[in-house]
Amino acid sequence: MIFFLYSLAILSASSILIILTSRFRKISGGIFLISTGMGCVLALMSAVNVLVSRTAVEAQLNLRLPFGEFTIGLDPLGAFFLLAITVLFLLAGIYGYGYLKDHEQKNLSVHYALYQLAIISLMLVVTAKNAVLFLMAWEMVTLSSYFLIVFYDQEKAVRSAGYLFLIAAHAGTFCLWIMFLLMASHAGSTDFDQMALASFPLPLAGLVFVLGLAGFGVKPGFIPLHIWLPHAHPAAPSHVSAVLSGVMIKVGIYGLMRIIVIIKDFPQWCAAALLSIGMISGVGGVLYALGQHEIKKLLAYHSIENIGIITLGLGIGLWGQMDHNELAALIGYTGALLHIFNHAVFKGLLFLSAGSVIKAAHTGEIDRLGGLLKSLPWTGHLFLIGSLSICGLPFFNGFISEWLVFRALFEGMFHFKMNALIFSGLAVISLALIGGLAAACFAKAFGAIFLGNSRSTDLAHVKENSALMLAPMVVLAAICLWVGLSPGVMVSLALRAASTIASVEISPTMEGVIISPLLTVVLVLLVLMMVIMVLVLFKRIAMGIFPVEHAPTWGCGYSAPTSRMQYTASSFAEPVLRIFRNILGYAVKGGRPKGYFPKAGEISSHVTEASEVFLFRPIFQFIKFLTAQLKIIQYGYTQLYLLYIFIFLLALLIWKMV
Amino acid sequence: MGIRILLHISLVMIFSPLLLGIAGKTKAFFAGRRGPPLLQPYYDIGKLFRKGNVYSPTTTWIFQAAPIVSMAAVLVSSIVIPMGSIEAPLEFWGDVILFTGLYALARFFVVIAALDTGSSFEGMGASREAAFSCLAEIIVFLDFITLALLSQTFVLSEMIKGNILSSWQLFGPALLLAGASYFLVFLTENARIPVDDPATHLELTMIHEAMVLDHSGWDLAYILYGSAIKLFVLGALFVNILIPFHGLSVVMQTVFFWGGMMMLAVGLGIVESCMARLRLNRIPQLLISAFVLALVGLFVVLIKGV
Repeated sequence: MIFFLYSLAILSASSILIILTSRFRKISGGIFLISTGMGCVLALMSAVNVLVSRTAVEAQLNLRLPFGEFTIGLDPLGAFFLLAITVLFLLAGIYGYGYLKDHEQKNLSVHYALYQLAIISLMLVVTAKNAVLFLMAWEMVTLSSYFLIVFYDQEKAVRSAGYLFLIAAHAGTFCLWIMFLLMASHAGSTDFDQMALASFPLPLAGLVFVLGLAGFGVKPGFIPLHIWLPHAHPAAPSHVSAVLSGVMIKVGIYGLMRIIVIIKDFPQWCAAALLSIGMISGVGGVLYALGQHEIKKLLAYHSIENIGIITLGLGIGLWGQMDHNELAALIGYTGALLHIFNHAVFKGLLFLSAGSVIKAAHTGEIDRLGGLLKSLPWTGHLFLIGSLSICGLPFFNGFISEWLVFRALFEGMFHFKMNALIFSGLAVISLALIGGLAAACFAKAFGAIFLGNSRSTDLAHVKENSALMLAPMVVLAAICLWVGLSPGVMVSLALRAASTIASVEISPTMEGVIISPLLTVVLVLLVLMMVIMVLVLFKRIAMGIFPVEHAPTWGCGYSAPTSRMQYTASSFAEPVLRIFRNILGYAVKGGRPKGYFPKAGEISSHVTEASEVFLFRPIFQFIKFLTAQLKIIQYGYTQLYLLYIFIFLLALLIWKMV
Repeated sequence: MGIRILLHISLVMIFSPLLLGIAGKTKAFFAGRRGPPLLQPYYDIGKLFRKGNVYSPTTTWIFQAAPIVSMAAVLVSSIVIPMGSIEAPLEFWGDVILFTGLYALARFFVVIAALDTGSSFEGMGASREAAFSCLAEIIVFLDFITLALLSQTFVLSEMIKGNILSSWQLFGPALLLAGASYFLVFLTENARIPVDDPATHLELTMIHEAMVLDHSGWDLAYILYGSAIKLFVLGALFVNILIPFHGLSVVMQTVFFWGGMMMLAVGLGIVESCMARLRLNRIPQLLISAFVLALVGLFVVLIKGV
């Protein structure tokens, strides 16, 4: 714990120091790199320490909060999140330093300081042991991420994206206040440990759960609460998108897990609700992603998809817990937690490499790119590793966590009653569909950006980015492969955090039951490796004997092909989108030649964000209408407002006296 | 275990092109022709192994890696499938997911290799393959759920042999529906009529063939061999479900399994002889009907209770 406190202290001190030295760019940048490095490594050490020793640690600071003490503590659950937070923030921080180097006109030290504030606040969220402290840290997360998102505030789209995020996040926090007030008033304390001692009646637990879903669900972006996500991620600079998508949105999941730890007993429909949300967000996220034309927007929708997978794991875990099926509970939670870590790593990697593409090619429009694997070999291959991981393909880390979620769902099917069985069956189908669609989507993204010929002439002089940007990506890719090829360590760490959620002790035999099939998976992969090597060897030998020639791609008889005739990402996604066109509101405009001698023509396709257009827009129109009615008491005179305050106070006094 | 895996893989490699040969012979018989010899697929692959390669300057290493990765993945997927009296060399809880994962890996590489060429025809094929395989995958999973519920296990070889006989007795209709839907997926995944026609070379209408237009020599040989192996492995899965020969003597098991495989190849030839290829926009409908079949199969299991 002492490491953790040091880390907090270092980060807080350095964020102030960075602001103070803002006139000297080199110094403040240097302080940023060193202090972020030290802070993250120290916090990482304390997280690993807690996870390995399986003991929770606690510290009380001599600071009084309203309604409680400033108590922070690190249990395996928080430590597991801390692991993901520190790893990604450290690497994205280094990348960000490289990414922003040429932004001469911006005051970077404010950005750096806010970045560190975001680390501090996230670290506080996962360690807060008190509802008030938690909410304060939660608010700090929101504010610091808001300022990180609006880095390019000279653009209108960025400002409005940030504003949308701010509104969405605060609407969520509003629900959280009510939720914690309910919990605190029932338990008689705002302290999490005290709350955990109280027993919550099922209806109250259900109410808390619904408020939790609404409040915590905004950050991870459960459909339909996700509308801020696809706007905010592309607006932010890429290293910020990486941490935003990689860890910041996961604190919502952390919150849900924390209330599961506290309340323990939920009505069964809560698990069903989680599973349904998981299915809708998972399938919906990936379908919307397929319809996107901008790389970071596409990745943002994939965050929603992965949150869906995580929620499926969480849901089946909760169902297992309610049904007293420890195995399903543990595997479900482990799958969810491991996917949180994995998603942080591969989505971080993908956002960073997307940023690298955007920095090099000055556009993120997929259909304007192409053939970049040759000019950006590092970025391209790292993006490929990220894509293979996010699709859950064997050899890579996504496979391991999705395998765990699948297994938990099947476990549920064997042991649960009919209603749970139907839900887990549907979840299996959704997860399979998510996998297939994600593979289609990343084949599209990777293929259109990095393969084939470049679709625009601007790409001729694209150059690979600096090592400062590539090195963090290499580390992330290495983690993807490490977890995929030797899953034992991370699964076992996730299992420890899972046992905290489920409040059960794990026996070594149970750990073996969960981990040993995964080790067999690795064995199969070794066989696959050997087969591949044999095939490569044969081909190598043959290529020495038989001639190897080079000729242009077969154009099916057409003799003057241009690179603009290649299949675009939009056309690649078209068959899938057409199948799901009614759900997505997929529409294609133009494309037909006009007149007898058609000259210029255009075609465009887009998907309609249903919850934005049909749900939130009407709601906000209505709110706007209501608030417009208040105009009658607004005259713009300060004196008048003082009078209102006075009247209000008077009314309160009278109410208190009566 | 290493030896058993090697034996398994070799058996698959030796016999898989034969199925294509049998299917071809059947088609020829229905068309009233003599047809190519039974071993023609071996000759085809052998011929390609003696040829050089042509590469487009547009392509990268991915173009060359895809044939190898896809063939290796489908070959390795066979080690969780029992073949008659020969047990699967590896069985473990959850190997179903790995099995489908390997196919997804193979498909991903073939699809991006098609995009690697920069040809719009190959992009077209890749896009269709990606779309239809999404649907095919969920159908396979539905069938797996049915089988898993019937056998109460998550081990593929147990699911398809364990108590398949008693399942047929108790849940015959469910297995029949699951089998029917699986057969449609089998046709889709292997790019056979009515979904795709391996014999055509009209780029605009094809799926699988369009993706591999630019491959030549050893790469093409690996691809052809890989699709033969895929046909064999997915077919072996089907035969295991369809014919409950487990528990019989070793000889009978061998006879039933290999006989079943041959019947499957003949059946494939018959289907291809008496059906035309569907129009492309009809294929999702075919897959959705397969989905419904699988779903009804699952409902039968759920309603009768496990």
